[in-house]
Amino acid sequence: MRRQVVAVSLIALALVFLPALAPRDNVLNWVFLALLYGALAQSWNLLGGFGGQVNLGHAAFFGLGSLVTRTLWLNQVPLPLALVAGTAAATAMGVIIGAPSLRLRGPYFAIGTLAVAEILRITTANALPEVSFLPTTYLAGYRLLPRYYLALGLVSAVTFVAWWLTRSRFGYGLAAVREDADVAEAIGVHAFSHKLLAFVLSSLFAGMAGGLFAYYHVSYYLQFPFNPIWTFDALLITFLGGAGTVWGPLVGAGFFLLLRETLALRLVELHLLIFGIVFVLVVLVFPGGFVAAWRALATRSERSLQ
Amino acid sequence: MSSILLQNAIFGLLVGGLYGLGAVGLSLVFGVLKMLNVAHGELIMLGGYVSVWLFTLWRVDPFVSILAGGPALFLVGAVLYQALFRRLIHFHEEHKIKNSILIGFGLALILQTVAILVWEADERAVTPSYAGSVFALGGVVVPLSRFAALLLSFAALGGLHLFLTRTRYGTAIRATAQDEQAAALSGIPTGTIYLVAFALGSALAGVAGALVSVSDAISPAIGLNWTLKALIVVVLGGMGNIFGTFIAGLFLGVAESLSGFLLGNVYREVVGLALFLIVLSLRPQGLFARG
Amino acid sequence: MSGDGPELLEAEDLSKSFGGLRAVDRLSFAVDEGEILGLLGPNGSGKTTVFNLIAGALPADRGRVRFSGRDITREPPSFRTRLGIARTFQLVRPLPNLTALDNVLVARLYGRGRSTALRTARDESLDLLSLFGLSQKATTSAHALTLAERKRLEIARALAARPQLLLLDEPLGGLTTTEVSAALAQFRRIQAEGITLVIVEHNVHAVRSLCDRVIVLNSGRLIAEGRPAEVLSRSEVIEVYLGKASRAALQ
Repeated sequence: MRRQVVAVSLIALALVFLPALAPRDNVLNWVFLALLYGALAQSWNLLGGFGGQVNLGHAAFFGLGSLVTRTLWLNQVPLPLALVAGTAAATAMGVIIGAPSLRLRGPYFAIGTLAVAEILRITTANALPEVSFLPTTYLAGYRLLPRYYLALGLVSAVTFVAWWLTRSRFGYGLAAVREDADVAEAIGVHAFSHKLLAFVLSSLFAGMAGGLFAYYHVSYYLQFPFNPIWTFDALLITFLGGAGTVWGPLVGAGFFLLLRETLALRLVELHLLIFGIVFVLVVLVFPGGFVAAWRALATRSERSLQ
Repeated sequence: MSSILLQNAIFGLLVGGLYGLGAVGLSLVFGVLKMLNVAHGELIMLGGYVSVWLFTLWRVDPFVSILAGGPALFLVGAVLYQALFRRLIHFHEEHKIKNSILIGFGLALILQTVAILVWEADERAVTPSYAGSVFALGGVVVPLSRFAALLLSFAALGGLHLFLTRTRYGTAIRATAQDEQAAALSGIPTGTIYLVAFALGSALAGVAGALVSVSDAISPAIGLNWTLKALIVVVLGGMGNIFGTFIAGLFLGVAESLSGFLLGNVYREVVGLALFLIVLSLRPQGLFARG
Repeated sequence: MSGDGPELLEAEDLSKSFGGLRAVDRLSFAVDEGEILGLLGPNGSGKTTVFNLIAGALPADRGRVRFSGRDITREPPSFRTRLGIARTFQLVRPLPNLTALDNVLVARLYGRGRSTALRTARDESLDLLSLFGLSQKATTSAHALTLAERKRLEIARALAARPQLLLLDEPLGGLTTTEVSAALAQFRRIQAEGITLVIVEHNVHAVRSLCDRVIVLNSGRLIAEGRPAEVLSRSEVIEVYLGKASRAALQ
């Protein structure tokens, strides 16, 4: 336990002082991306990992957060305000979509959320087909540093919520719902309200991550953050690292981006093949992902040492 | 005006036949195994490539390729079931569905990437001599190959129906879908039945893929779209209800085509999805399910 | 209709159908405070459906359920648990990937008179586990426990919700003779603490020695009610419930 606290503090310190230490911008840029993906995956993890509800429409919240933030920001609204508005929009949509969809059982929740996200993507693509460029006045003042620290803050916030889920009454209730909703009800846990709150928290942080994406990118198609690829990457990263664990999504994000960077230079698609295979193996053989594998290894080596 | 509407409706019907056939395999697998294979669209994509391959190598007619695409995908399905999905069979229903979605998702990624590595990312098309031919039917123009594809979809569905109702295996599959425990108690080897049902569902995807290749280009990326269409159709028709699924496919095809014509082509996809969400919230057992 | 004490639970005119099948048919009965009530009947007579209607896992087609005088017919199961109704399941349903301790802890955190402080709730849960001989297994995942252990865990979890009324659905099924007598002693201790029990059980000897009163269902309807020894000797009960062949075994 203490060793874990020390390790986490060291990594956090390293991340805080990285801009001063990193000689080149591309290192900082890579870590920024890892943080962004980590934050998005962690937000998926709140509902998907801790709550056991497979949301295949996560991109909708990421997309809406980015769309609202970008539009307001480029229309002279101060960035903090634009971020808050983007987050609020995604959160509101979490309530609107979560309430009916979470009543669905079986496969319908997964399919329903996917359909909602696709509707939003297609509508955005039709209504706003253009590329959004940062105007020259914005470009002149562009710095990576504030974006980096924003990403660091976001990852810390969403990871704090994940950590809170492992040691709070609400977190225990949510775990019971994940394991067996009927049993959870029978011991006093109102399953629907637990799922809904997890859904809303999940969409809140996805929207915030979308806002960060809008603040970071110089130019992109406004529909791009709505692409289902964002859902799929978040899901993949969460399961690789360990769904329902506090550190899984962050470990997964690091691994995901590292493998993508190294392999992309040689062969464009190979990393996807590896991700797919590892993912299937994790689901079938090692449901806890890297984090659980690491824990199992650690306890085994401790035992053999004694 | 009305003849243009009719033209659009007919065209929608032709596309809808493929939607229906594309979804029937998914519905069969869900009905029997209570698993949702979201890599179903990738299996359709593979079926399409079988036909593209045979045509490019030996100029095999795409309609003949069905005879290869079906069995080939039957084998692929059997292997996938044995290697992956079989491990979920003893899970509780809720967990079985969830894990099958996850495995299907990983599988979709794998199959799509393999397809890019083998065939590259660009579109491939089959171009037999009759590719552009049409015939007129009371003022309505009907593309010949799409019409033949619709007839073959009917034939495939009829064959499936005969298999399920007239053969021992088919009866055993239906019994297992009804009540797995009762089927096992009456001596049906449910393990084998699951394997056959999954392979059969994949074979139907293979046939659908070959028929898709007749009129549409095949690329590694088409899988997701076909999965989405199949999911919509399966929900509209009622999970596990095979005839309902096929009718829902025709229905979706017509609805998309008419709304594309009336509202503008960009909204045809949205109409299908919105229809789906409405059905999902009001009648989750599907439009054509009893009770 | 009922025995001596004040009524804790009242079911009035309850009905529930599945498709065309009437699982529970205009059933009325009451449970008195402090008693152990046996719910008997052949397979498919609607006993588990009655449990589900009382616990709220199924909505009733008609009729009402009153608990401590309060109409709870439309309340969700979680609310009923917080009022003081807890249950076990016929096929034990532990929360499989949670530890034995956490299984009990959730009920302690959400049940009636709950402890919202995590530390207190954990201590109380550990006490409950040791009461059921599960202290050694506190950190074991529930799916790794033996059937007997899971059955005890299931009852410990239900008690962690501090119920006034505890519904036990075939708690003795699959247990050995020694385990059965231990379980019966356990149920009497639970009763002695002032908890009312309703129990569905096929083990006739156990029912006879444990229950203060029994009611017998057939096809969802009440056909007999009274002291166990007396009810179990009635010929119509024997015929419906056990079949003629069993009469000899029973007498």
